[in-house]
Amino acid sequence: MNPLPALRFVFRSAVQNLMRNLGISVASLLTVTLTLLGAGAAVVVVHALDNVLHTEESRASVLKVFIADHVSLASIMNMDGQLATQPDVRAVAFENKNEAAREASAPGGLNLKGALRLLAKTGGGNPLPASLNLRLRTISDVTSVNQAVRSSAIIYQGPHPTDYNPNVIPRLERYILIAQVAGVLLVALVGAVALVIITISIRTAAFVRSQEIEIMKLVGATEWFVRWPFIVEGMLVGVVSAIIAAAVLLGGGFALGSGHTLALGTGLHFALGVSGALIVAGAVLGGFGSMVGVRRSLAV
Amino acid sequence: MVPQGAANDSPQHSRMVSTPDLTPNRVVPLPDTEGGPQPSTRPIIVFERVNKTYPNGNAALSEVSFTVHPRDFVFIVGPSGAGKSSVIRLLIREEAAQGGHVLVDGQDLGRLRRRHLPRLRRKMGIVFQDFKLLPTLTVEQNVAFALQVTDPGRRHLKEKVAETLFIVGLEDKLHRFPDQLSGGEQQRVAIARALVHRPRIFLADEPTGNLDPDTSWGIVQLLLQINHRGATVLVATHDREIVDLCRQRVIALEDGRVIRDETGGQYLEAGEATL
Repeated sequence: MNPLPALRFVFRSAVQNLMRNLGISVASLLTVTLTLLGAGAAVVVVHALDNVLHTEESRASVLKVFIADHVSLASIMNMDGQLATQPDVRAVAFENKNEAAREASAPGGLNLKGALRLLAKTGGGNPLPASLNLRLRTISDVTSVNQAVRSSAIIYQGPHPTDYNPNVIPRLERYILIAQVAGVLLVALVGAVALVIITISIRTAAFVRSQEIEIMKLVGATEWFVRWPFIVEGMLVGVVSAIIAAAVLLGGGFALGSGHTLALGTGLHFALGVSGALIVAGAVLGGFGSMVGVRRSLAV
Repeated sequence: MVPQGAANDSPQHSRMVSTPDLTPNRVVPLPDTEGGPQPSTRPIIVFERVNKTYPNGNAALSEVSFTVHPRDFVFIVGPSGAGKSSVIRLLIREEAAQGGHVLVDGQDLGRLRRRHLPRLRRKMGIVFQDFKLLPTLTVEQNVAFALQVTDPGRRHLKEKVAETLFIVGLEDKLHRFPDQLSGGEQQRVAIARALVHRPRIFLADEPTGNLDPDTSWGIVQLLLQINHRGATVLVATHDREIVDLCRQRVIALEDGRVIRDETGGQYLEAGEATL
């Protein structure tokens, strides 16, 4: 079979189907647009939430190990070297007492500037310990590394030898997991809804054209020749819906954002990536939904 | 059971019910069927102890056996529910036999893979009582449709369609829609659509069921011409008048069984009760 006339026939039939069932076509186009818009918005929101949580995760992945006063620099350097070779540890930085005081005094820090000045005036000196600041590979390493360093002899032997907060890390880990699972479920749910809508609309179109399908089969058209116009029709619905949804998302993002950053701190590259993914998803959902929708009509 | 050189005699014109809209004397240049005339040694259709029971428990065919040779013209007759349409459905593989074998052109349809079904159906032309025309397409488009969906790149498609519509006597109604035609004309369009790809086997399921006697006669004459040109024709009908006029081979079914198979037969045997 010559592919060009076959392609022409398939595309012409697909467009004719769309136009012949214009009411159904517009209804499914709008519904799929809204569904894909929901999916796109869900991806953007989940991405923004993920960004926030990852920033927090990045902060929480730093473990401050306080060093006891009067420990020799050689001992500190020795521990620094040992920790740096650990697979869980990405980097180690030494922070002396003065740096700790400066950090505590800095705006946005612990805001201890006044207290430290008062201590200095009364001869109390700098009470803040030096520390080894460990940047760990993942947040899940924090608990185990915290346990491991506590046995070291050079560590500050107070109630808090590290800045590990047992309440924060597990909770943060849980939030990240919930956000990721919820995001995947939401996108899967919205995708499933789009699939069902396209399947129903193509099944309706196939029902409307059942006599045409019957004749095609009786005169000897192959199943794929019967099927392709419907698949192309579904893909057209999916792609056009996705383009509209992507345009609305990008437009809304620019309107609510500032400069090159869209709403919710979404970058332009990410937004364009989501738009591209929506178009691909629209085509795939449309094609797959049509295959499912027309399958029953092809039973001989 | 097997007819020896089934007769293709012309109908007895003196008994015609009235003037047909396509007279037997009209010179119609029917095209060759695919592959040209067939040797009559090997049957083109074989039913061998075929059984068919539908899911509702209705036994449509029981131990049905017959053979049809190339260029035969066969009427399958019987009352409603006798199994006539089931024979047609089994031949186009719309249904599968539960027992026995159905062979078309040497191919056992019970072993036919689904993907080879289109190839089988392209050997056949099929017409039905309800015409099955697409109402949104013109006469020309309805006929062209059969070629477009099987061979969209076919050359001289328009000429082929025009030639076929000339054969069925509708060359002047190319641009009419089905609802602008009479019942007989609609059936002619359906015949043209079935004929356009030059099938070797032509099946008609109650082709005159919705037509008046005059128009029915014209349709049957058209089927006879198709047969004269080389196609094997099977007509499932309960139109007694047509069958008796044609004096062709008749396979009579009753309750899913073959009760009679004779060449030059009539719908009813003398003395047989009216069905």
